[in-house]
Amino acid sequence: MTSIDVHQLTKAYGTTRAVDRLSFRVRPGSVTGFLGPNGAGKSTTMRLVLGLDRPTGGTATIGGRPYAQLAEPLRTVGALLDAQAAHGSRTPRSHLSVLAASNGIAASRVEAVLEETGLADVGARRIKTFSLGMRQRLGIAAALLGDPAVVMLDEPSNGLDPEGIIWIRELMKRLAREGRTVLVSSHRMNETASFADHLVVLGRGRLLADLPMREFLDSRSRPRVHLRTTEQARLRSALATRGLTAAQAEDGRWVIDGVTAEAIGTLAADEGIPLLELADERATLEQAYLDLTSDDTPFAASTTSTRQEARP
Amino acid sequence: MTPTAVLHSEWIKIRSVRSLYGSLVAVLATTLAVTVLALGTVGREQAERAGAEPVFDAFYALNFGQIAAIAFGAAAVSSEFLGGALRISLAAVPRRSLFHAAKMTAIGGSALVVGLVTSFTAFLVGQLFLGEHAIGLGHPGALRAAVGGGIYLALMALFAAGLTALLRSAVAVLSLLIPFLLIVPFVFADIATAVARYLPDRAGQLVLHQNPEGSLGPWSGLAVTAAWAAAALLAGWWAVRRRDA
Repeated sequence: MTSIDVHQLTKAYGTTRAVDRLSFRVRPGSVTGFLGPNGAGKSTTMRLVLGLDRPTGGTATIGGRPYAQLAEPLRTVGALLDAQAAHGSRTPRSHLSVLAASNGIAASRVEAVLEETGLADVGARRIKTFSLGMRQRLGIAAALLGDPAVVMLDEPSNGLDPEGIIWIRELMKRLAREGRTVLVSSHRMNETASFADHLVVLGRGRLLADLPMREFLDSRSRPRVHLRTTEQARLRSALATRGLTAAQAEDGRWVIDGVTAEAIGTLAADEGIPLLELADERATLEQAYLDLTSDDTPFAASTTSTRQEARP
Repeated sequence: MTPTAVLHSEWIKIRSVRSLYGSLVAVLATTLAVTVLALGTVGREQAERAGAEPVFDAFYALNFGQIAAIAFGAAAVSSEFLGGALRISLAAVPRRSLFHAAKMTAIGGSALVVGLVTSFTAFLVGQLFLGEHAIGLGHPGALRAAVGGGIYLALMALFAAGLTALLRSAVAVLSLLIPFLLIVPFVFADIATAVARYLPDRAGQLVLHQNPEGSLGPWSGLAVTAAWAAAALLAGWWAVRRRDA
């Protein structure tokens, strides 16, 4: 099994540390979401893992070996860094053939990945005529070309239409089910929540969190319930005897902080108060993420702007 | 990963970009067009002059073909510096010395083939316009000049390619080299002959003369051009190895 191991990785530009003593491991068999504000060091980390940039300190290895020592690296690691990078004058077929030739990958794989990414019909068109979404699909085709055990995608859903976004989500889940190691950076929280099993969160080049998605959400959720009832006055006094207050939301529901649905359900049953609806509120990934990174957003003028930026 | 595989991949890169193989075709097309224009109009007059150099005059048009060769060398490397193309290339071939060597071999090899075809074709076609003044490849120095002219074009392409790997921009290299090549012959040739002889184009073009004058011979002149190209390739190699992609 091939994991990505980053150990004390540091990249300094002058006095700024883009990546600062970063250590984490990306394991096979699950999709790891790579999150962080702009400038947190996600793309730099990916370039360091691929040996494209020289680290100031620390190591990054794939299955225990530095990337540059892999004999035919595209057969082990497939990466999409920048969909705009393919030469516009080439066709997708020749772009992929260049990559296949150097890594001893059979020409039949070129056709296979064009088919898989829905580009088979435009394989002979020049890349410069492509939309961003089509370039993104080509970048993903290039990443899958060598049937790699490790897949690294930087913002793969950029420019994809809703259908494409569903496609990439299902693709990433499938790759993980097949036992591959999948690392995906993204700014879109709702989307990341829909495919990631594990999260690595960066802020200012440092590791802020490295844990399963479920745990991350739980650790960032404060207990809170929503409910509806027909006996508002009785419930309010029952809550008051336990020191709880309910606020009424715009949609007519009540919101109670500091309790779980379990506690309120038991209370209502004891008092014989009918409840029409009762649910724990869970933090969304967006809330949990903003909560975590609010101190580590280098380019945010205020919290408000951060929120807008992070929305899909 | 074998050198052959990487070389194959670099060859596909050249073949699959129209402007790149276009500039290779332009080496031949430009040289032939200028040969026909020059020798077809003033060729005989020139040949009848006292002190005419039939061998050197036959390759006059290489002066123009070399611009296309330089453009080819520069563009073949600079296409790696558009957007993040170099990252894709180095992710596929992380051994940077191998990457650089294969790229330069593909550029030099294709420029050499095109250069030799160009220089022989230009010689043979040009002579068709000269009537009784025409010479053959058997003329003293003619065959050497035709072979040397082809090698010269390849060396100029490599010189530009190496500089582009160092400076990361075809525009910078072309705006440095082309004025140099166009202006030096007119300005420098008379005033600083001793120094000018060792410039890459002056030295290399000695091979086109039947009897080159001065301290450098035909092949040692070409060797000076080769040294310029080698220096540019080494500088490019240093840059490719050292810099972040």
